[in-house]
Amino acid sequence: MMESLFYMAGFVAFTATVLSLSRTNATHALIYLIISLLAVAVMFYLMGAPFAAALEIVVYAGAIMVLFVFVIMMLNLGQAGEQRERQWLAPRIWIVPTLLALILLVEMALAITQISGTTSGVEVTPKEVGLTLFGPYLLAVEIASMLLLAGLVGAYHLGRRSIDRSRQS
Amino acid sequence: MPGLQVPLEHVLMMAAALFIAGLVGLMVRRNIIFILMSLEVMLNASALAFVAAGAHWGQADGQIIFMLILTVAAAEVSVGLGLVLLLQRRFKTLDMDNANRLRD
Amino acid sequence: MNLAAMQGLLPLLVLGLGAAVLMLQISIRRQLGWSYAITVATLLLGAAAMEPAMQVAPLQVTPLLRVDNLGLFFGSLFCLSGAVTAVISRDYLRSREGENEEYFLLLLLSTLGAVILAYSTHVAALLLGLELLSVALYALIAYPERGTLPLEAAIKYLVLSGAASATLLFGFALIYAALGSLEYAEIAVQISAGRAATSPALILMGAAMVFAGLGFKLSVVPFHMWTPDVYEGAPAPISGFLAGVSKGAVFIAVLRWFLESGFFQYSSLLAGITLLSIASILVGNLLALLQTNVKRILAYSSIAHLGYLLIVLVAAGVSPEPGLAVEAGGYYVVAYVITTLAAFSLLGLISRQSGDREYDQLSDLAGLFWKQPGLAALFTVALLSLAGIPLTAGFIGKFYLISAGVDAALWGLLAALVIGSAIGIFYYLRIIYTMTTVGEQANPGTTADMLVGSRLVVYLLIFAMLYLGIVPEPLMGYLRTIL
Repeated sequence: MMESLFYMAGFVAFTATVLSLSRTNATHALIYLIISLLAVAVMFYLMGAPFAAALEIVVYAGAIMVLFVFVIMMLNLGQAGEQRERQWLAPRIWIVPTLLALILLVEMALAITQISGTTSGVEVTPKEVGLTLFGPYLLAVEIASMLLLAGLVGAYHLGRRSIDRSRQS
Repeated sequence: MPGLQVPLEHVLMMAAALFIAGLVGLMVRRNIIFILMSLEVMLNASALAFVAAGAHWGQADGQIIFMLILTVAAAEVSVGLGLVLLLQRRFKTLDMDNANRLRD
Repeated sequence: MNLAAMQGLLPLLVLGLGAAVLMLQISIRRQLGWSYAITVATLLLGAAAMEPAMQVAPLQVTPLLRVDNLGLFFGSLFCLSGAVTAVISRDYLRSREGENEEYFLLLLLSTLGAVILAYSTHVAALLLGLELLSVALYALIAYPERGTLPLEAAIKYLVLSGAASATLLFGFALIYAALGSLEYAEIAVQISAGRAATSPALILMGAAMVFAGLGFKLSVVPFHMWTPDVYEGAPAPISGFLAGVSKGAVFIAVLRWFLESGFFQYSSLLAGITLLSIASILVGNLLALLQTNVKRILAYSSIAHLGYLLIVLVAAGVSPEPGLAVEAGGYYVVAYVITTLAAFSLLGLISRQSGDREYDQLSDLAGLFWKQPGLAALFTVALLSLAGIPLTAGFIGKFYLISAGVDAALWGLLAALVIGSAIGIFYYLRIIYTMTTVGEQANPGTTADMLVGSRLVVYLLIFAMLYLGIVPEPLMGYLRTIL
């Protein structure tokens, strides 16, 4: 029962991702992407990683995707954008990249089949994750804060410039 | 709830498939918003592989790398979307191929 | 975390604290002079902090970072390079008004990322160092209000570098799935315990993906496409930082990963690296011949130089005693970073008042010798050093590489190195020749009002390149004792 749920989640994740990346409407694509992320969160939960599952929903589907929503709303792409997008996505431009990627996928599949064993079936609790994070990985937390600072300052500068520009025009 | 015992091979294959889907999107799409989404898909696929491997070994490390990947994705996307806004204001387009003044 | 660990991490603490102070200063009162002073002081202090940290080295601080002589030495090299970039940027930004304080904050954070890379002994530290370095750089590339080129360059760099990070992570996930470890030393233990034998293809696939990801950041052929575009679009001081510090730091991280986690045992991986090296040397040098933009020439030249540096990895993997190869790699990185910084500093300094466009066309340099002998001399020494002419740092670096290659009997790679260097001399001399001609073109800015800091940096860089070329023994001896 649980196994079939896992494989279903995997199927949903992959299908939603493919649909998302082949849309012409950015908002639709984003909603498919959120579905894909939710399905991945289900997989995390079933593999015994409840904390990762929660974060996937809260941070990925919640925060990062909302950032995309904001930008798409601000840009106001509309019908014309969709029309243009459709022109760009002529079927023939998919052929070569897809073939190349499939070759890579087959190679990866051949390598991956060498691994045996299953997921352990033991739940790694949020408490364990927290203890490890603030134990051996303490410095990673500190460095990650610097990384977020860099992202914040960079986004602030670029965003402010784009606001200045729209005021001028 | 105890975790599920699924073959690691299957989860990694799933992650590889998602990764490849993101890669195709990255190569095919010309709209910069979709390119950033493809990037997110690729990063998320790596995160899935890490969590699966962590679950295989019963270690917390996989989930911790997942959290670091979340941080990385957030930082990249925030700067990326800032650039998107500027690009739109300046070129009135999101087409990567229009931004092609840098050529040989 | 005890006191010894704190002492060992002193360079990182200084940089982190400096970033915090700088942020407070900007939020209290915007003042470019103060931001600049805090940045340069922090970077110099960070470089000086190597001294107390060395007293406790070698020391493993949590599984993530190791404080050892290699990391400390290159960490302070990157701090000093960051300081050089800051000084040149100050001059470069003077005519480009706007809120430029955050520029220095981002530069400081980026340097912090480079230093973390030099210390990294764990996947998490590698990932975070790499991303801190790149995320700050995305914003720095697009920082100046200067037409559309920087914006394009930043987007190109962001997309490709993000894809490279994802590839690298997927590779590490495969290795983690097979071996159950994220720490380099642990991975080596697992490999030598024979755990890798059950899934050799998986490990190789993982290692290949990691190397592809890092190869993007090092811009070795075939992952080099972005390099000329990004270097051309970025402001000249940042191009120098990208070419010198970013590549140098990633190379040190690759060296650590490669040697400490025992991947040099895989001969097919070494064969792959050999191919990448030969391709980078030939493609980089040949395409450089076709360019008319100085930044693009330097970009292709940096691709070729990274090809030369890959010889170090192969030599370290093949020869039973990797000491000589690592030493040669260390010397080459020092020479390369200084020389690259010098070359881009010149472009930054002559483009101080150039407005939207930079003076980076070959024709812009015409007659530079007669107008600004000081800057022209700096550029000439840098180009001669890049070409590997005797009496410059680049010559000794190449000489060192050749001896490491001979030691490991890598004849194919050595042949590529010699051919590549011979081709290289053409385009470097072409730039020098252009500087001596009397051009009709517009005068690239006056430099009479160059800041004292920039003057000092120019003289220091010339001195360093010549000193390392004429009296190489002190650095060689030093590298031998610490490695």
